[in-house]
Amino acid sequence: MDRRKFLKTAAVAGCGLLIGEALHSGVSPSEAAEKYDLVVAHGAGKPASDITKATISAIGGMKRFVSRGDIVVVKPNIGWDRLPEQAANTNPEVVAAIVKLCFEAGAKKVKVFDRTCNDPRRCYKQSGISDAVSSLGAEVSFIDERRFRDISIKGQVIKSWPLYRDIFEADKVINVPVAKHHGLAKLTMAMKNWMGVMGGQRGSIHQKIGESLADLCLVIKPSLTVLDAIRILTANGPQGGDLKDVKRLDTLIAGVDQVAIDSYGATLFGMKGSDLSYVKAGNAMGIGSMDISRLKINRLNV
Amino acid sequence: MSKQILRKISQGLFLLLFLFLFIRTESKGNDTLGYPVRLFLDFDPLIFLTTLFASRGGQIPAGFFLSLITILVTIVLGRVFCGWLCPLGTLNTIVGSFRRRQSIPLDAKWHRLKYYILIVLIVSSVFTLQIAGIMDPLSLIIRSFSVSIYPLADNGIRALFDTIYNTNISGLVDVSEAVYGLLKKSLLAFRPLFYLQAVFTGVIFFLILAMNLIENRFWCKYLCPLGALLGLCSRYSVLKRETSEGCTGCGICAKACQGGAISEKNDNWRNTECLACFSCDDSCPQNAVSFGLGKQKNQAMDLGRRQVMASMLSGALAVPLLRSTPLSKTTYSNPDLLRPPGALEEKEFLKRCVKCGECMKVCITNGLQPTLLEAGLEGIWSPRLIPRIGHCEYRCTLCGQVCPAGAIRRMPLEEKTKVIIGLAMIDKGRCLPYAHAIPCIVCEEMCPTSPKAIWFEETVVRRRDGKELIVQQPRIDLNLCIGCGICEAKCPVGNRAAIYVTNIGESRSQANQLLL
Repeated sequence: MDRRKFLKTAAVAGCGLLIGEALHSGVSPSEAAEKYDLVVAHGAGKPASDITKATISAIGGMKRFVSRGDIVVVKPNIGWDRLPEQAANTNPEVVAAIVKLCFEAGAKKVKVFDRTCNDPRRCYKQSGISDAVSSLGAEVSFIDERRFRDISIKGQVIKSWPLYRDIFEADKVINVPVAKHHGLAKLTMAMKNWMGVMGGQRGSIHQKIGESLADLCLVIKPSLTVLDAIRILTANGPQGGDLKDVKRLDTLIAGVDQVAIDSYGATLFGMKGSDLSYVKAGNAMGIGSMDISRLKINRLNV
Repeated sequence: MSKQILRKISQGLFLLLFLFLFIRTESKGNDTLGYPVRLFLDFDPLIFLTTLFASRGGQIPAGFFLSLITILVTIVLGRVFCGWLCPLGTLNTIVGSFRRRQSIPLDAKWHRLKYYILIVLIVSSVFTLQIAGIMDPLSLIIRSFSVSIYPLADNGIRALFDTIYNTNISGLVDVSEAVYGLLKKSLLAFRPLFYLQAVFTGVIFFLILAMNLIENRFWCKYLCPLGALLGLCSRYSVLKRETSEGCTGCGICAKACQGGAISEKNDNWRNTECLACFSCDDSCPQNAVSFGLGKQKNQAMDLGRRQVMASMLSGALAVPLLRSTPLSKTTYSNPDLLRPPGALEEKEFLKRCVKCGECMKVCITNGLQPTLLEAGLEGIWSPRLIPRIGHCEYRCTLCGQVCPAGAIRRMPLEEKTKVIIGLAMIDKGRCLPYAHAIPCIVCEEMCPTSPKAIWFEETVVRRRDGKELIVQQPRIDLNLCIGCGICEAKCPVGNRAAIYVTNIGESRSQANQLLL
């Protein structure tokens, strides 16, 4: 099978991942040194931390992104007062594994935070993220309102917005969103995760969600994005609550291009990237590419 | 070590314990607090008795039976609770120590005032009116600290550190931020606190403290109903004060006496007013005072039959008077009076709530606020949820855990998430997708129930330029809404939300229902 044919099949049956084993290219770790645009790792029944490690090593290892002495921000979704199995927040094991890899790559400091929707104390605790990463030495802090700075964005819709200072002061930023349903945006994944560093009345960006999120990504440029689809929330998002709406995929998608990742993420829900307003806007503004058929994707079975 | 020093150490320790439990009445993100934060109230026999009477044999929280220990100790040793334990008493003595000149005490008959207050509270509770919490010292100090003193201190300290932070002097800011960080982890509230009635309750509290400048322990001597109750219990206590023949009647002990129990010439000692502070023992120049287990008869406080009758009558009349408000009608309620989840039916709730403010202190969003007259004078300082200040957090059950009197039931999470405190309604004149053809979904996004009580109807709307647009207009499923108010709290329509909760449909009421 040549690559073109393979990719075509993959695009058509993108949601084949839901079925699990169906799609796997059988790339051995030795081939991973080759640079891919996306890594899609699947490990049915495997611990999330193992899938994370395999994903990162397939994308080139954490050393590709984090240098010795770096201050790294790892930004999960900790927005909701929900338990890990409810899939409203990023999987704590994934976040912990990434934090650990950052330290192993020589990071001086790893910061983890999110501007939550429910009470921050409950979100940090109940999501399991605070406990999982603070024991590794990461600095887990609640949002300090004084640390928002008006950042000039010069986007189509947003000209400037108060954004969290730590994102811009860090040497490296790693986006670790969770893939889930959303009433307006349809899905929330990597690009929408940056609402967690917005200050002020961020709810008003829903008036023009697609352009606003793309505008945000003009100034927030993570070195690496790891989309958590260990469990995905398929309905009643973004906070869910009912385990019936949670689907276990044991999948992670990693890459640098957030638009591509969200575009690929859409296929997990049986959608296309072009179904999502912010993916389309991001593509149009040249922030990334939503055409996953043109990407080099490493499909990996852990 | 003199007994006075021991007493001061005890006062200090109990004050610290009180403050520790008070500060710990705050969520750390877990489902429970891990500390018995209402401990002081559990040991309060005035709250126990009035709850017992007012609730007419309803279920009494088990913790309250600890207050029997207070009664027993008082029967044996006298008012040691007042002298050695009470945090309000301790604060009174601390402020009193700043008084420079010796004060002239009020006439001894003023001591009776607190007994009359006690009679009013007890008698009204027998007629099911629970207003003891207004003057009970522990309720009063917890409430004052919760809605006034602690927010005052917290906001003041924050303002100080923010000012330093904004100077941008690098070395200074580093140090101040380190200290600030430590304070945030220990003494400060998780976030700045704001309460209605903060000024009102604060002024009352400061007045009570300021009265010590007129006379030390003014509150304890003349006003405190718990002191009066314990005074009655100590009537037969066996700890007796004796003076030997060396007494010259110099009156130094009378001036030192914290409870005003000794007459000027030391020819009369009233057991019921003695706080067992041992100031007389320590101050006597002749060393003529001693305390021991004595047999001589205690002197009863003569309250006067007429005055007692008048107090009882006042207590009885207060009940129909305070209830002569339309709020007493089952068919009428203040629509904005959202009670915390698990609150008993309003009448039962008012018979229980002791206005201690523990629920408001622990409320994770600061949304529980003290009422003024929204629930009638009977319900003054009782808790009310104001979603625009803070919603009821879906998975939080803390208010029910800290309520000392069972006015808010303690419930497991599953049960709590089903309790309806009201229903949300949409103001279509303000809601963006309805009134202005602008997309907005924040209420739906925030709605915590599963499935969500807020759903969308996709509607074609026409803009001014004639263009048609499909917007998602939020609708509320009244069978799913629990009135938590997060939609109202987070509605981006600034000053007045386009979605709001009123108490119609609240689970606790049979009358205040909407659906068939």
